[in-house]
Amino acid sequence: MTATLPSDQADDAASETGRIPRPLRPRLARLAVFLVIVVGFIWGVSGLDASFERLRSAPGDAWAILRLMWPPDFATVIERGAIGKVLESVYIAWIGTVIAATLSLPLAFLASNNISPAFIRLPIRQLFNVIRAVPELIVAVVLLGVVPLGAWAGALAIGLHSIGTLGKLSSEEIESAAHGPVEAVEACGGTFISRVRWGVLPQVLPQIASYWLFRFEINVRASAVLGMIGAGGIGSELIAQLRFRNFPEVGAVLIITVAVVVFIDTVSSSVRKRIIAGGSGDPSRMMALIRDLGGSGLARQP
Amino acid sequence: MTEAVAPGTGERPAKPRPKPLTFLVAIALVVWTVFTAREVGFRWSTFVDVWTNPLWEKFWPIPWEWVLDRGNVIDPLIETFQIAIVATVIGCGLALPAAFAMSRLTAPNSPTYWVSRIVMSIVRAVPDLFWAKLLVTAIGIGAFAGAWALSIFSFAVMVKLFSETIDGADPGPLEAARAAGSRHVPAVRTGVLPTVLPSYVAYALYVFELNIRASIVLGLVGAGGIGRIVEAQRTFFNFDRILGILVIVFVVVFVIEQISVALRRRLV
Repeated sequence: MTATLPSDQADDAASETGRIPRPLRPRLARLAVFLVIVVGFIWGVSGLDASFERLRSAPGDAWAILRLMWPPDFATVIERGAIGKVLESVYIAWIGTVIAATLSLPLAFLASNNISPAFIRLPIRQLFNVIRAVPELIVAVVLLGVVPLGAWAGALAIGLHSIGTLGKLSSEEIESAAHGPVEAVEACGGTFISRVRWGVLPQVLPQIASYWLFRFEINVRASAVLGMIGAGGIGSELIAQLRFRNFPEVGAVLIITVAVVVFIDTVSSSVRKRIIAGGSGDPSRMMALIRDLGGSGLARQP
Repeated sequence: MTEAVAPGTGERPAKPRPKPLTFLVAIALVVWTVFTAREVGFRWSTFVDVWTNPLWEKFWPIPWEWVLDRGNVIDPLIETFQIAIVATVIGCGLALPAAFAMSRLTAPNSPTYWVSRIVMSIVRAVPDLFWAKLLVTAIGIGAFAGAWALSIFSFAVMVKLFSETIDGADPGPLEAARAAGSRHVPAVRTGVLPTVLPSYVAYALYVFELNIRASIVLGLVGAGGIGRIVEAQRTFFNFDRILGILVIVFVVVFVIEQISVALRRRLV
């Protein structure tokens, strides 16, 4: 026992307290991380003009606004066409997703290391990174400079921004595709296009389609936000009602938005599950599908 | 035993026909897409017109002396960072206990589980900038409201991600702690926390990245940070300055993401 402990002193300490002393280095590392977080936090708060007065009154103010929103005034908001606007947000999100899906699929193939050479692949990957780094609201701000204000500009902004994420996720999926089917097509004398079309695409399309749907869910929220800067949809209604401090109407707009977002999330995620599971929604079927597709996976099965 | 057929002469197997449901879904999707495209005002001509728009000249050249001036861009960018850091610490800090209450494995009782789950899905369904705008209305324009909004949002995101990790944690150590007579909180503390802590830190870094991105646009609704400058320049159509800000933002976001990804890779 003594041999494993660094010194007699530690041994004494251990026997006195009945505990083995904890190793020093992880403790120091933990302390350092803790200090970094605390110092960062204090530095952050110092820039937020957060006096104790404000800190104390803020929760009360926020709660007061929340109280004013109840009961929500659906009648006025619906009369002003809120349902049409929230649907417009959904349309914007859909068209944005369709644009992004159409453009990102070929780009994703060009960005995958099993399809395309490095001199094409690397620039396209960087393009994805650049696109992902710019939030869609900023894209919209820039686009509103050259495209007339409205739903179409919002859809374009969402479409452009979503290319980055979809392209990255899709190309990762393509890179993890099994090589067997590609070899099979090659053995039959398939051209490059045939190899991609029959060897790779069927393997990756279910997962990629589920990414599209997932992005659609995110884009519904994004298009609601885009309305706030004038790109169509429910966000404009929220801004209009907040400007005149019509809090019951604001409450109604919020509830309509939440209802639509939750509805779309639910439908979309159940569709995604079915797509990946191959139509039955049964996870064992999905496992079978993965086994069928993964060439080497078969060998490992008992 | 069937007769051997010379290669290339035998009849090919019939190609399976698509199911009627597949047709229906495909048609429905096309109709829906066309309908939404019309509603949105989709125009092919935009893809051509955009490039020939004379307004692009307003984007170039980037006025670097304006962009690199401390007061114009750098200080608001620092404010953006401060918002993101504060929001991440508050949101992730509060999410740690909340996620344990929301996971099936560690929830103290089932009402806690269901109530927290429903509240959280409502909080997440409200877009982040809606929160920001509401809080700006409630507690005044500025970074303070922005930090609040992002704290709420990162709390909601973190609780969801982390509670799902806890759902998937190994229940063995927890059972062992309970069998040894531990009460609920110490059992979770010693039985589950150590196994999920690395994912917690990884998610916290991810939420920090999200917050940096979100805090860039917060200013567009009056909640402080670099977006405040973008909004101000937008109203004066100074697109060259906006482009300059974009370049700076891109560099900063890219660097942070690389650091965060490197750290996360080491953790998980």
